[in-house]
Amino acid sequence: MDDRKKILISLFIVLMIFPICMNASAGVLSDDAQMCLGCHSDKNLTKQLENKEVLSLSINGDAFANSVHNPINCGGCHTDISMENHPQIKKIKNKKEYTANSSKTCSMCHPEDQLKTKPTHRTLMDKASCSECHGAHYIKKLAEWKKGISEAQHCLTCHRYDLSMTMKNGEVISLYMNELVFKNSIHGNLSCGSCHIGFSKTEHPTKTFKNKNEYLSGASKICSMCHTDEQLKKKPVHSTLVAQATCIECHGSHTVKGITAQKATTKDTEYCLSCHKHKISMTMKNGESLSVSVDEAALRNSAHKNLQCIECHMAFSKKEHPVRVFKSLHDYSTSSMSLCKKCHANASHQYESSIHFSLLDTGNTKAPSCEGCHGKAHITIKATMDKSFGIKSCNKCHADMNNSYETSIHGKERAKGNEKAPSCSSCHNAHNVESTKMTTKIKEGCLKCHKNTEKVHNKWLSNPPITLSSFAGVHFDVVSCAACHSPNAGRAIYLSLYDRKTGKPLPQEEVLKMFETDSAGFMGKIDTNGDGSIDAKESWNIFQQLYKKGVTTTFMMKMDVRKATEAHQIGAKTEAIKDCEKCHRPDAEFFKDVFIVMKKADGKPTILNAKKEVLNSVFSILPVSKFYALGSTNIKLFDILFIVALIGGIAVPIGHITLRIITSPLRSLRRMGKGGKK
Amino acid sequence: MKKIYLHPLPIRIWHWVNAGGFIILILTGAQIRFGNVIHLFSFETAVDIHSWTGFILIANYCIWLFYYLFTGNIKIYIPPLHHPVEFAKKAVRQAKFYGLGIMVGDENPHHSTFDHKFNPMQQVSYLMIMAALIPVQIITGLFLWDPKLFGPAINLIGGIQIADMIHVLLFIFFSAFIIVHFYLATLGHTPLAHIIAMFTGYEEEHEEHEEQGHSEEHVHSH
Repeated sequence: MDDRKKILISLFIVLMIFPICMNASAGVLSDDAQMCLGCHSDKNLTKQLENKEVLSLSINGDAFANSVHNPINCGGCHTDISMENHPQIKKIKNKKEYTANSSKTCSMCHPEDQLKTKPTHRTLMDKASCSECHGAHYIKKLAEWKKGISEAQHCLTCHRYDLSMTMKNGEVISLYMNELVFKNSIHGNLSCGSCHIGFSKTEHPTKTFKNKNEYLSGASKICSMCHTDEQLKKKPVHSTLVAQATCIECHGSHTVKGITAQKATTKDTEYCLSCHKHKISMTMKNGESLSVSVDEAALRNSAHKNLQCIECHMAFSKKEHPVRVFKSLHDYSTSSMSLCKKCHANASHQYESSIHFSLLDTGNTKAPSCEGCHGKAHITIKATMDKSFGIKSCNKCHADMNNSYETSIHGKERAKGNEKAPSCSSCHNAHNVESTKMTTKIKEGCLKCHKNTEKVHNKWLSNPPITLSSFAGVHFDVVSCAACHSPNAGRAIYLSLYDRKTGKPLPQEEVLKMFETDSAGFMGKIDTNGDGSIDAKESWNIFQQLYKKGVTTTFMMKMDVRKATEAHQIGAKTEAIKDCEKCHRPDAEFFKDVFIVMKKADGKPTILNAKKEVLNSVFSILPVSKFYALGSTNIKLFDILFIVALIGGIAVPIGHITLRIITSPLRSLRRMGKGGKK
Repeated sequence: MKKIYLHPLPIRIWHWVNAGGFIILILTGAQIRFGNVIHLFSFETAVDIHSWTGFILIANYCIWLFYYLFTGNIKIYIPPLHHPVEFAKKAVRQAKFYGLGIMVGDENPHHSTFDHKFNPMQQVSYLMIMAALIPVQIITGLFLWDPKLFGPAINLIGGIQIADMIHVLLFIFFSAFIIVHFYLATLGHTPLAHIIAMFTGYEEEHEEHEEQGHSEEHVHSH
């Protein structure tokens, strides 16, 4: 074909199509379109889809005539429809499927390469079909369309869909916006571009962020355009928060309501969590930091899931948020226990008599408060729900006991899955834990499970002719269970100084006060011979000195294992000691080591070396008047008296007989004088 | 020589049970206390025997007490406190007899009868022993037998150490006493006279010089 022919054909096509285009652009419908509209101009023309959705098939002819697609007629897009077979029954599942399929025809004129040139549009294409954003029959030129809508409408064209943005670190941010919620927000009257600087109907820059935090920080900075720093930092609590969390993290972004409205429509806990669900912390006076963030999910699974925040944090509410200042984490822990006490009064009361509380109260920062064992109140679960809870929490501080426990019969049983096998609290109690050197409560722990103990012991530990459980009980009062049932343990005698009047241990501080000394100087004051061990005379001096100060004391005795670890090495029943002479002999091995124990105000014991004579000297009669072990703590002086009495008893007859022999001549003479025989 | 009925059967039974019991208690008590040097029994056996014997002697003490209370003869233990000077003089005279008179051949100032069995010294010591020392020994023994059962009572006297102290001091006293008591029992008109009387109930009473003569012969024979 020569060039002339080509030019003629092109000219012909242009001359033929131009009038049509001219007509269309002027809003004139083609004959084909008018034919379709013959039916589709009916406003009630609908089709019920398989999912019962109703699809409108009505077309506004005038609007279509003014759309950019008027020139291509109905058949330009609805390529599968011809008048020969229309109306044809087509099965359409739902609107989504319909729009997705119908949008495919767009690519006949708008190739994908072209549509995906802009990254933001490329992302959108995966989320929505063309007609979902651009419409179908009434599409106008982009510039004209933009001119006719608000900025918000423009943005929402896309952002009403489930759009998201992926950060460099893989975090994903939702870009979805609920138009209705936004309209009802306090920012509902603002245009999108008021906050999203740089974005408009004509501009949509592509931004990348390292992570969500960077995004939120950047976005929150925009808030300060309206909400000045001075205003935001007016309230101290908010001032602290501003430094630790972004505006959006607490207040949200498109859903922001006025504070009053937010408080009115939000539940207490929700309101608190609006800030506390974020990683915020509180700084103590000494610089220590405490996280005050609450893991909402963990809270919902915790033992306190049904409580509102204000039920514990009583001084706080939607209206009140007092600023509290604590010297240290220890100070905070101590004061926060009062929150637990409100509901857990009994446990708190028991705890207040424990060594843990005493330690905490005297400033020991390692001593456990409620949270020390139970964990944060917001995540703690019921102790009864976790069978290993006791052991786990105790091991935080007492891990050195765990090995010996695990090798004990109790530990082995537990390892086998016997849930009844005792854990730490079974013996030591959960809350009223006392120093084991000063208490007999450990025994109570054993007896919780070994209920028939006295009867069992009565089989061999009884005193005829009547078998009484109280006789076994005498031993239980002064001998720890472990002393007999921990086969390889070392044993010793621990004498605790008690106030005879009150029947309670005399705190060391009180003793020191009466001795007018401190703990460093105490031993020097009582150990008058300086041999590092308290002898009988020295123990008497303690008793005498305190008596002079108006306190009558007595040493209460307890036989126990030497090391705490040994107390946990409980063996099998067959390994227990049943030999009375292990204790009841003057040279009993178990009575060789004697210690004097005094309880400090923090509950910790002070252990002083003592000599065995503290138990068996004549000086011990009054100070140790509440204890006597048959055969092993004999007062030595009485043994000497016994020997003297025996010698005396024998000497009297011998002496008398001797005198009678010596004086027998006198009697003979006298008898003779009376006429008796020679 | 005439026979005087001094010891009724219940008292004789009581006496010999008591005597045997005392010896057993002293031996087992010594074993309990001196387990490192005495090896007659194990500690456990010693405690068992001691406890059994203790209860037997409690019952035995009751026999003695009820007998004397029901017969009214308890008065033989009661010194005539309405004549204290006279009683004191008699006691001194009796002491002088044991200390000197018996050496020089004096007559025993006391002549036992059923109603006046004890001389003043015996009267005082047996009253003290039977009315105070044995009951105290029984009570403290019970305290030591089960310190928990008698805990409140033990606290009243100051503690188990005090109970033990009393029990041991009395144990020491009784240990010495029983030796002296046995010797004094040989000071009848014959060395076995009092002892036999405690079996038969009848004491033979001789003229004093005859009695002394026999005793001396017996002493010489040793």
